[in-house]
Amino acid sequence: MEIWETVSALTGEAILALLLDLTIQTLKDKYPFLILLKVTEEGISWDKMREDCRTLSPIEVHRGFQSLINHLFHLFSALAEGVISRELFPKVFPKVKEAERILFPK
Amino acid sequence: MSFEIKEIIESAGNNLPNLFDFSSFAVFWKEGPILYLYQEESCPPTFTQEVKKNIARVWSTLRGEQIDVEQIELQIERRRLRPKQLNIDPQATLKSHLTLPLAIEGEIFGCISLNSEQSNAFDAQDLQFFSVIGSQMAATLKHFQRFSSIKTMATYDTLTNLYNRRYFEERLSLEAQKAFYGRASLSLVMIDIDHFKKVNDTFGHTEGDKVLREISSLLRTSVRKKDTVARYGGEEFILILPEAGLEESSMIADRIRRLVENTCFEVGHTRVNLTISLGISNFPNHQAKSKEDLVKMADQALYEAKWGGRNRVCIYNPNPLSK
Repeated sequence: MEIWETVSALTGEAILALLLDLTIQTLKDKYPFLILLKVTEEGISWDKMREDCRTLSPIEVHRGFQSLINHLFHLFSALAEGVISRELFPKVFPKVKEAERILFPK
Repeated sequence: MSFEIKEIIESAGNNLPNLFDFSSFAVFWKEGPILYLYQEESCPPTFTQEVKKNIARVWSTLRGEQIDVEQIELQIERRRLRPKQLNIDPQATLKSHLTLPLAIEGEIFGCISLNSEQSNAFDAQDLQFFSVIGSQMAATLKHFQRFSSIKTMATYDTLTNLYNRRYFEERLSLEAQKAFYGRASLSLVMIDIDHFKKVNDTFGHTEGDKVLREISSLLRTSVRKKDTVARYGGEEFILILPEAGLEESSMIADRIRRLVENTCFEVGHTRVNLTISLGISNFPNHQAKSKEDLVKMADQALYEAKWGGRNRVCIYNPNPLSK
């Protein structure tokens, strides 16, 4: 939720949702579990993923999320060069790690 | 890109210099594709080309499909966006940009971008502001695109691309008003393809539709600029000829008749010759009191042409031979 708020404050929710959806569509063949991420009015919903991904290996999930973030940053970089990256890098990565820890505690 | 959409882009371009410091504002529209540039007067051509290449690159990244830069049509509006002493260096290159997709309901139909020859010209606040403008523009442009297509549907006949009957009625009201109040001449020519049912019955409706399109194209190219050509229904067409007296409208009608008569229409695997019948009514010659009268009179004249053996032009006669 915090990630969503941080990013959407910069690009607007509609555009962020669109970019996230484009990214998921690009990666869904390699990491099918990513399509369980749902964009709702409150931001990204993890509930479905939390339920359905218990059987996946943490490394697989880690790689999927890494690809998701990399691809999103690739899009951000293509769209606004340094502007988005400068704002988001320091904020987003710690949050992604935190999200992974919440979803798959060791 | 329709006129209304171009106006919206121009209006945005006029206001953006008050909000951002940029040298070029670009709107990329996938249909075309067209790149509309609103840019500083002193932008060198090399800079313009870089903006074009960059937006094509961003589009390819967003859509995952390559776009041929050469295919993008450029429309440039040059304005003085900065004082003369701050002219852009002729060697300037694109150093920074903010580009956002124009999207509604998940469908991306274009991009907008702010471009500069200076490094780090835009910051997070610019992005926030530009994204609000982008969302508003996307909604407005989509609305106008839909409006334009509805307007097109309401005006044109989908098969022939001629004006439809609804538009014809509207146009006739206007022209009739002008003629009746200004005592100017106005002619109507009603046209019907002879034995068209045979074409449909023998070759099928797809081939029949092809003939309708070909004849429509002949009609469109045979009239004057101020004339209106519409599909009246089925295989019937109607022409509004403003400021045309009986002599001129007869000449136009007969030219069309001969043109159709001398055209070989490819139908299925064969070539056929077709003819048309035409009926003319005119104001003030026929003393029509309303636009409805004019239509009735042209229809009556067309009936006379059919009754007289087809492939001919008949002028309305209050005492018809067919009676």
